[in-house]
Amino acid sequence: MEALQAIMGRRSIRRYEDRPVEDDRVEALVKAAMAAPSAGNEQSWRFVVVTDRDRLDKLADASPYAGLLERAPLAIVVCGDTTAEKHQGFWLQDCAAATENILLAAHALGLGAVWLGFYPVEERVEGVRQICKLPDALIPFSIVALGYPSEEKPPGDRYNEEYVRRETWL
Amino acid sequence: MDAMEAMMTRRSIRKFTDEPVTDADIDAILRAAMAAPSAFNQQRWRLIVVREPARLAHLSKATPYAGSLAGAAVGIVVCGDTTDERTPGYWVVECAAATENALLAANALGLGAVWLGVAMYDERIGNVREILALPDHISPLAMIAIGHPAETREPAERFDAGKVHYETWQDAGSGN
Repeated sequence: MEALQAIMGRRSIRRYEDRPVEDDRVEALVKAAMAAPSAGNEQSWRFVVVTDRDRLDKLADASPYAGLLERAPLAIVVCGDTTAEKHQGFWLQDCAAATENILLAAHALGLGAVWLGFYPVEERVEGVRQICKLPDALIPFSIVALGYPSEEKPPGDRYNEEYVRRETWL
Repeated sequence: MDAMEAMMTRRSIRKFTDEPVTDADIDAILRAAMAAPSAFNQQRWRLIVVREPARLAHLSKATPYAGSLAGAAVGIVVCGDTTDERTPGYWVVECAAATENALLAANALGLGAVWLGVAMYDERIGNVREILALPDHISPLAMIAIGHPAETREPAERFDAGKVHYETWQDAGSGN
């Protein structure tokens, strides 16, 4: 799929077919994630790939917006390693760029995906920490739910001219 | 360019030719940025397109790492509207996703680009705020220098199997 088409056509997909995502696709997703830019190339992202049904169901209960994980065959938990930071506080941005790459790669590979926010809501963070046995240095940033899509959405036209200014804000 | 290729070949490009960037390319980059996901679809990004060389030169001194803006054809300053109370602070994350989309679009269009961090440093934020006359509720996250590349960089191999664990961090069979 063309890059601009992937960027413009990506939507949040929350319904999936009942079949697994192949290992080579999972690998492509995490490779895309790690190709993201990061502050000073610090690459502070870490990933936990979850396909176990019980664990996905537990993660579904870890946030009020994560219920769809009960119907997803795959989740990638994107974590930040704050001890890897060269520039303090930038792990958030590193992980955001990595998460966006996963979503774009998923769309390009014919998968559907949705970004579920966990950080900075403390109880969601703690829930994931326990379910995925994360060490203290790792902070769960987001979970990307993934699968073969069983819903179709047209590209969302989000372009808004009012959000663009020229030369200065004034 | 293929989407996976655009991600895997994107590098930070800091040297640019004098060739201008077309309005059509800038428009495509802005549209890509705004196609990013955001919490509850709030779309709090605000994008300032800077083309005047004097202003680009000024912005290039707003942070210690922004020098490449001085030779860029265009700068896009990615800001967030911070008035949101539903998901406070999350504009940073959304604007980062928008920034990545812009970088990928630039690469796909044959342009070079580099992400120049502004937040989380108060001094840099203040400098950019002053140069662009930003109101209090608009905060700069990053600047993107864009132009036709005057350097070529090979794809970076950043894949690290030790950063991927399965089911839990502890049960991992790989590294760490």
